[in-house]
Amino acid sequence: MPHGQAAALEARQPIASSSQRLLAIGGILLIVSGMLLGDIFAIFILHPNNARIGEAMYAAAQLVPLGDAEGIVQHFMAVGGFLENRGTKVAAHSHIIHMGYIALLLAMIQPWVALSPASKRRAAWFYIVPAALLAPSIIAIHYVGKAYSPFEHIGWASIFADFFGACLALAVFIQLLGLWRYARSEGRETLSPAYIGAGNAASRALLLGGLLLLVGGFLYGAALAAYKDFAAAPQEIDILKAIVANAAAAQQSLLDQSFADYGQFLKLRALNIAAHAHINEVGILVLLVSFVQAFVQFSDKTRLRWAQLMVFSAFALPAGILLEIPYGIVGSIIADWFGFMLIVSLLAMMFGMLRHTGADDAAAGGKP
Amino acid sequence: MKAPQQVLIASGLALIAFTMGFGVWYAIFDEHQTLDAIGASLAGAFVHAAGGDMAAAVVSLENYAALDREYRYEVHAHGHWGMLAIILIIMGLVFQRLGLSPPRGLLLAWVLAGSAALFPLGVLLQIGPLLGAGKVLAVAGSAGMIAGMLVFAYCLWRRPQG
Repeated sequence: MPHGQAAALEARQPIASSSQRLLAIGGILLIVSGMLLGDIFAIFILHPNNARIGEAMYAAAQLVPLGDAEGIVQHFMAVGGFLENRGTKVAAHSHIIHMGYIALLLAMIQPWVALSPASKRRAAWFYIVPAALLAPSIIAIHYVGKAYSPFEHIGWASIFADFFGACLALAVFIQLLGLWRYARSEGRETLSPAYIGAGNAASRALLLGGLLLLVGGFLYGAALAAYKDFAAAPQEIDILKAIVANAAAAQQSLLDQSFADYGQFLKLRALNIAAHAHINEVGILVLLVSFVQAFVQFSDKTRLRWAQLMVFSAFALPAGILLEIPYGIVGSIIADWFGFMLIVSLLAMMFGMLRHTGADDAAAGGKP
Repeated sequence: MKAPQQVLIASGLALIAFTMGFGVWYAIFDEHQTLDAIGASLAGAFVHAAGGDMAAAVVSLENYAALDREYRYEVHAHGHWGMLAIILIIMGLVFQRLGLSPPRGLLLAWVLAGSAALFPLGVLLQIGPLLGAGKVLAVAGSAGMIAGMLVFAYCLWRRPQG
């Protein structure tokens, strides 16, 4: 099938061609796996690890007045291991979800990528395979370490992760090349994917809600940076200096107080970053969901209600995270509840899409 | 595809490819070395304190703080380029629903694309000697992105039929 004909088909349906199907389904699977892995890591690794890091640092501080340098180094090597374990899991979780978002967006721009259908299919595979292998490579960094590595600072798992990252950069560049060819082609058709311009109330509510969330996320990030730079925000280094000085002076009660301050500092930093990140992540998710509203087969009123629930939950989830600062567990419950509401509204939209595919099948006489 | 859409989608894809390349370069040549140095500085502070050398302990802690800040800013720039690029592509996809005149649409697209590229660059520049210029770029990029998205949201809101 020539490019023009294939592109016209892709502009009518979001999963008309094999490259679109591969990118859309692969993207959804990546996002789902990223979310699932995030939950598993949070429960079994991230939270227990935070406690272990604090314990190891506290134990190292106890050895300062004893002058036990070797013991201190041992504890900090353990801290390094815990941090690497946590860091690689967080990086894998975040990268896999972002690779999924990019795959979905690449699926949507396929009508404008002026390559032959076979090249587009190969380019889609060239994106999806490294995207799927990147996260396992990042996770393996902690377990493989530097065994048999030819380099001083990086091990084989890092080398593979970097290789897959380079493949992904090249895969996106190929899509950019296709877009450039489309822009340069003479007498090109002015294609516009029909599913993006659905224009229904639900799609509009999600678009507006998603954009406002992102603006809120940016403002929140800017306010955090301003607070850190211009206000008298507590600095990590001041707390660490107090810890070292109190440990050296064997002032146990002051040392305990300094560790309590450090714990509070880390908690505030983590919650603020989590709120900022969740506002932006959920904002992007809400925007992406707005694109599929043309395929959610409910009445306009019902579709709008689910969209409104999703937008409200998307605002309430980060608000709950922030409420953890003054109210602790109450804030967590609010954040968890609205996270659950987000999943419920997503599932409802998925059922609406299943109804749409069912109606399409029925219209085709029930034939596959 | 209209010209503003081309600007947004092409710059979004270019930024994604660039930040992936940056991430690979950073992971190979800087990240692991920086992380090793961060750990060594913090452990060194405690070891110096155990040896009674508090001045050396403070120097190690200040070194730790500087390296930690560098690491955070580099990861911040890499992550934000990717996120902002995704947002540019999404806005490029729905740009036709804004109903802006071609010159205004193109201006808005360039403001958004430029801001998305410059904000993380400003963050990155704050690590080195160009701290002042980096802050100006980061503030300008962030303001441009916020203003552009507010205009985008306003245009969507005033056109209920899309």
